[in-house]
Amino acid sequence: MATPLTINIGRLTQIAGFELVRMFLTKRGLIALAAFALVWLVILRYPIGQAVGIISSPDFEQIARDISGSIGLSKLLDWPEAEFAMYWLIALYSFPVFSLFICSDQTVGDRERGTLRFLSLRSTRFEILFGRFLGQLAVLTCLVGITLIATLAVLGFRDPSLLAGGVGRAVSIFLILIVTFAPFVALMSLINTFASSSRLSIVLAILYFTAGGIIVGLLEWQIPALSTLDYLFPGVQIEQLAGQNLPLLSALAIPLVQTAVLLVVAQRVFARSSL
Amino acid sequence: MKSLITGRNLSKSYGSKLALNNVNFEIQKGAPVALVGPNGAGKTTLFSLLCGYIAPSMGELEILGHKPGSAALFNKVSALPQDAQLDPRFNIDKQLSFYAKLQGMSTKQSHVEALRVLDLVGLSEIAKNRAGDLSHGMRKRVTIAQALIGSPQIVMLDEATAGLDPIHAREVRELVSQLSDQATFILSSHDLTELERLCSQVLHLDKGVLSEHQTKAVNTDKHFYTLMLSDVYQNVEQQLQALEGVSRVYMSQHKEYVIEYQPTGDPLDIALLQFCRQHNWQYRQLVNGHTLENQIFKQEKL
Repeated sequence: MATPLTINIGRLTQIAGFELVRMFLTKRGLIALAAFALVWLVILRYPIGQAVGIISSPDFEQIARDISGSIGLSKLLDWPEAEFAMYWLIALYSFPVFSLFICSDQTVGDRERGTLRFLSLRSTRFEILFGRFLGQLAVLTCLVGITLIATLAVLGFRDPSLLAGGVGRAVSIFLILIVTFAPFVALMSLINTFASSSRLSIVLAILYFTAGGIIVGLLEWQIPALSTLDYLFPGVQIEQLAGQNLPLLSALAIPLVQTAVLLVVAQRVFARSSL
Repeated sequence: MKSLITGRNLSKSYGSKLALNNVNFEIQKGAPVALVGPNGAGKTTLFSLLCGYIAPSMGELEILGHKPGSAALFNKVSALPQDAQLDPRFNIDKQLSFYAKLQGMSTKQSHVEALRVLDLVGLSEIAKNRAGDLSHGMRKRVTIAQALIGSPQIVMLDEATAGLDPIHAREVRELVSQLSDQATFILSSHDLTELERLCSQVLHLDKGVLSEHQTKAVNTDKHFYTLMLSDVYQNVEQQLQALEGVSRVYMSQHKEYVIEYQPTGDPLDIALLQFCRQHNWQYRQLVNGHTLENQIFKQEKL
């Protein structure tokens, strides 16, 4: 049901904050966190812990190409903080996939259960949608922050003299990563407005990237002018971003515009949907 | 008096199925209002429209001068939607406090409020339990509690007592009765006796068409009594027909008789009770007018 776009910051904050509670203070959230921590312990122990050896290896360029399909990763070799170079690549490619999973139940579960009916008598649909989006982004922000701090610790353990430069590097990586991941969360916000379960949301997101990618690829093959359709996909810039070959403005503007568009479409669908 | 809720030419269709057909009604502040009708009559659709969960296909609906779902109605309108559940993963008090905070209360106030409404439904001891650990009846009462957070002017309860045992259903009825001077309740239920006790205005939906009934006072002008007997007796209709002023008697259902009469000097209700005593008939109830069940049943059979 379409209602005027009303935003109350207090309600928005409450809704976003409740997502953090959902992630960090429920059994299901804690199990997901434990799995995440275990995976990252392995990542910190091996690829990041041994980053200096890996990155200085002549095979690194080939490995990186195999992992990301990208070229021009040579700029990463210049980073004295090799751990962050490795973190950057792993985080840039793993968090988007991870975010599709952890953000798969923003509103769909509550809609199916009827809980959204209680909420919609106390907050506008936009507040619910945007609040949940912000909450999920906050969860991702916490997880990225924790992994970055852990990487910084690994770096400090190897060479304490790199810590000062490492903090600055960590902050810039943190900001770019959060902006980069935002459209993935927004995509799940949109899919949640019409999917009937969180599992279906994940399936639809995978289909969007795979089948959608094939269709757009075919269209672009027939009509090269349609190459702008690539921007329909969150993460379109990641390949260039991985090698630090994208201007900072583009690195920030592309995901921010994608996020805004996805949220506007999500709001329009959500405002008209039945609860 | 200004209407709390006004519906004008309201229709709602799902594809080719017309769930509500040009419904017009007004609800004033005051005694609880009942919304009744058979399954599939459109009750939940009307509730969903009132709560802003769905939009009408045609017509207008205003609550306190605003469209349903409007932010202006937050804290003024609350509801128990049918089959809606709290999140099973969270403590009850955490969820109710969260709703209270959305309604503008501070953290401290919200905890006090959560316990207050739980106490109203007799569940303050399960505040720390998760919703998923409660029985069906308890979950229902907790969802009734969420509808009482703050001080709403309008409380809509869709099938509030469905699935509750008789004792707790009665407690909910008493709660509604106690609070009905603070808020206007709109109740839907299949228990017509329950609604008859609580409500003076009845909105009857059948096949998407709305009609209104009165449960109190007005019925006395229609010169009917409904006599419910405890046992089966011979020739009841013929014997009652012989009483002075009685124009017609018929059996509305098993052991229940509707007596149509013309007022005379002597009160017929007294005469009826004396007649029962003289013939040694055990009676269960004498209703002044038609029962709501009979009114609705008659209409649905037409």
